[in-house]
Amino acid sequence: MNMKTEIRNYYNALFEQEWPAWLAGMLIAIIALMIFLWQSPWGIAAGYNNWGDWFYYLVNAYDERPLNPWLHPVSLSNSGILIGAFVSALLARQFKFRPAPKLEYAKGLIGGMLMGAGAAMAKGCNVGGFFSAVAMLSAGGFAMMIGLGAGAWVGLRYLLWEMEHLPSQTVYSKPKEETESRTFNWPKVQPYLGATVAIGVVAVFYIFSFVDKTQLGGWLFFGFLIGLVMHRSRFCFVRAFRDPFMTGEAKMVKAVAVSIIIYFAGSSVIKWAYLQEPTMGVYHPFILGCLMGGFIFGIGMLLAGGCASSTLWRVGEGQTKLMVTLVTFALTNSLTSKFLLVSGLDEKLGQDIFLPDVLTWPITVPLILAFFLSWVLVAMWNEETEKFVVF
Amino acid sequence: MELENIQSDGVVDTRGLGCPMPLLKTKKALKGMASGEILEILGTDPGSKKDIPDFGNKGGNQFLGMVDVPEGHTRYFIKKG
Repeated sequence: MNMKTEIRNYYNALFEQEWPAWLAGMLIAIIALMIFLWQSPWGIAAGYNNWGDWFYYLVNAYDERPLNPWLHPVSLSNSGILIGAFVSALLARQFKFRPAPKLEYAKGLIGGMLMGAGAAMAKGCNVGGFFSAVAMLSAGGFAMMIGLGAGAWVGLRYLLWEMEHLPSQTVYSKPKEETESRTFNWPKVQPYLGATVAIGVVAVFYIFSFVDKTQLGGWLFFGFLIGLVMHRSRFCFVRAFRDPFMTGEAKMVKAVAVSIIIYFAGSSVIKWAYLQEPTMGVYHPFILGCLMGGFIFGIGMLLAGGCASSTLWRVGEGQTKLMVTLVTFALTNSLTSKFLLVSGLDEKLGQDIFLPDVLTWPITVPLILAFFLSWVLVAMWNEETEKFVVF
Repeated sequence: MELENIQSDGVVDTRGLGCPMPLLKTKKALKGMASGEILEILGTDPGSKKDIPDFGNKGGNQFLGMVDVPEGHTRYFIKKG
């Protein structure tokens, strides 16, 4: 085998073949731990919130000027995820604008609204309210997990109902000759464009560093890595909650569980050793806010076909339905957060609980480990018996 | 077997739909088919390229293969077990 073929094979394995979900789970946990050490735990909804705030500020509905999106850490990591997925799609020669039938846009719109409202109530999305919350040992993360599972079940029932009762719509693809001109070979250009954008992200990091904002630049860069990994593996939190009811498949449950176990173990070391403030990232309203927010969010993510993170990477590969979701998520999240704050309802949704404060460290750590191992075992048992599969 | 020449017994069109609709529709269509019949699925979602083959080999069914066509979508074939 000559070198050129060998390089081509490596390229194919790295940037065109789908990565295993468990590997992606491990990588995401490691990047999330780096973000935690870098400044504070990883989240997503706060970035959407910032974008929504800006809209209302610009139409004069809010008085207070929000933080500039390029100075807001989570807005930056969200942008990084989107760009990382865009680069990954380009490298795989997969990027194109993907239209969807009308009904799908409606589901994307409503799904985004439900997720925006749910994330406001739970003070976090599937990442900040569940993934990071659990790893930060916040009791609310577990409450949201239960809500997400229940919401996913309801959302799936809706999708089944829709399939039986609403007419099926599709988008007919056009023959290639009509969409692509002869002089411009889009598939061939994509990897070069992808590499250029990737270099651009690194350059932006250096610019941040040059103006003494290295920490902010890091958020963009870490987000970029997460977007790359998520798109390469099509890593999807929704599937971890939906598939056990839908096909019985346990693949994504295992991947998310592996990821959480590494993430929470690492974070326990960091917190127990006081490398970061132990209660950092623990702000979730236990139990009402997390439970109800998770439930509403769970329905929304089934309708949209993407959670907070997979909405970003799916937008990055050109899915127009999820672009609608991104907009309504941001607008609703900002508005609902504002409403909860102004009305004082915020106070009634619950209180943040740091598990080691209640259970002590020596009990919290093995308990969480046992909890996630049981989740995997139940999912594997369900894969075999299909006991929870609804259709 | 030449995929292009397969005579399918039913077709599910999921073009333009994203995860999880292609898989849901595939599962529903397979339920209504008899053993030995072949289901053809048309799709454009990049995620389907892994999901449909994985799912197609479950529960005694057999995934026969997939082929990208010039119109820009992919044709998948599953034989009901």
